[in-house]
Amino acid sequence: MMVFSRTRFYPIVRDLHLYFGLLISPFVLVFAFSVFFLVHAWLPRATGGSVSARHTATGLRLPLNLDKLEIRQRVEALRPVLDQLGVAGEIYSIRHVPREHRLVITVSVPGRETAIDLDYEQNIAAVAARETGLAGALVYLHKSPGPHLAAIRGNWAMTQIWRFLADASAYVVLFLSISGIYLWTVLRAERTVGLVLMVLGAASFFGMVYALAR
Amino acid sequence: MPSPAKLSLWNRKLHYYAGLYFLFFLWLFVFTGLLLNHPGWSFAEFWPKRQQSVLERQIQPPRAGTDLDQARDLMRQLSIVGEIDWTVTRSDPKEFDFRVTRPGRIFEIHADFNQRRAIVQRTGLNAWGVLHILHTFTGVRLGDNRNQRDWALTTVWALAMDAVAAGVILMVLSGIYMWYGLIRKRPLGAAALALGTLTCLWFAIGLKLWTSS
Repeated sequence: MMVFSRTRFYPIVRDLHLYFGLLISPFVLVFAFSVFFLVHAWLPRATGGSVSARHTATGLRLPLNLDKLEIRQRVEALRPVLDQLGVAGEIYSIRHVPREHRLVITVSVPGRETAIDLDYEQNIAAVAARETGLAGALVYLHKSPGPHLAAIRGNWAMTQIWRFLADASAYVVLFLSISGIYLWTVLRAERTVGLVLMVLGAASFFGMVYALAR
Repeated sequence: MPSPAKLSLWNRKLHYYAGLYFLFFLWLFVFTGLLLNHPGWSFAEFWPKRQQSVLERQIQPPRAGTDLDQARDLMRQLSIVGEIDWTVTRSDPKEFDFRVTRPGRIFEIHADFNQRRAIVQRTGLNAWGVLHILHTFTGVRLGDNRNQRDWALTTVWALAMDAVAAGVILMVLSGIYMWYGLIRKRPLGAAALALGTLTCLWFAIGLKLWTSS
């Protein structure tokens, strides 16, 4: 039985570790590089970013009762309006200013944020797009879809695909770590050093978590 | 210059040594990443289950100084330790509001220097809340210049996050190097790597170009 395990199981695990690792390595790099920008709150291009395109649209065809809809329905109702404005992406947030009959909408794609100031009484909208650069795109992907505004998140097909890919990357990393432990245990000569490093890693991890959360 | 055999050996060692050292950090960030992307997972609920209490304490008004100096003085008097969050713009020098956060606990502090008292609202989170905060506990936020890291342990944790990211990047690069040495596995490996790379490029660069056209 042991012979069967060794000869069959080991090469399968090793190959799965290799190919899954190669497949998700670019995703892992996206998440890892963006950590530096998030941890230090710094983007190579100014976080304020300059407005790269601005225009005003008039005579928009707006759905009825846009001001009275619930947030999810409002997002769905706004999609044709975005099409009229030529803006695509995830509706990130919507702020209603009832007194001024305005909706302030932020639409995001990795690397660009578009602010739309829509006056639903006058049927006009001011559109301003801001480039956030490659670093901004990586940060956006790292945080997407994220925990905020869960009721409307994933209102763009690309966000749903990314959510699937981000989840798949996480599950594959878990698989890689477990299969990696198995592959390491087979290497008898490396067991001692590996075990010492794992214990040191565990000690630093639990030590830090204890100090932070106690 | 090390020989290719030696380089290959040390590259392999780096790959699994880094993996073993960062194992628990990696599990934390991967698992909490899943939790953050699925706020609807009820088993990991923490905010509705938070425990709150309010207490009022006498204080000595801190000496004139920066907001940070005064906040630290008040925290010392109130025996509170953590990362300071500036939540409101101060309009009255005799009143002072700020938040102190550490994984698992949030303190909202309102100090009235005229009355010589402080009201502290303490929010305690369960283990899921601790994990949740650990993922994002950096003390700084993009686009927010006011908040800076001001607790030594936040800096330690931020450095740990940097180290984990650097370790993961090294593991990816060392893994690619190891694969490249396996001549028979190059075609299928290249296909997997290309598929992953093209997908990531599509999301990081392609989507912006596609939606611009």
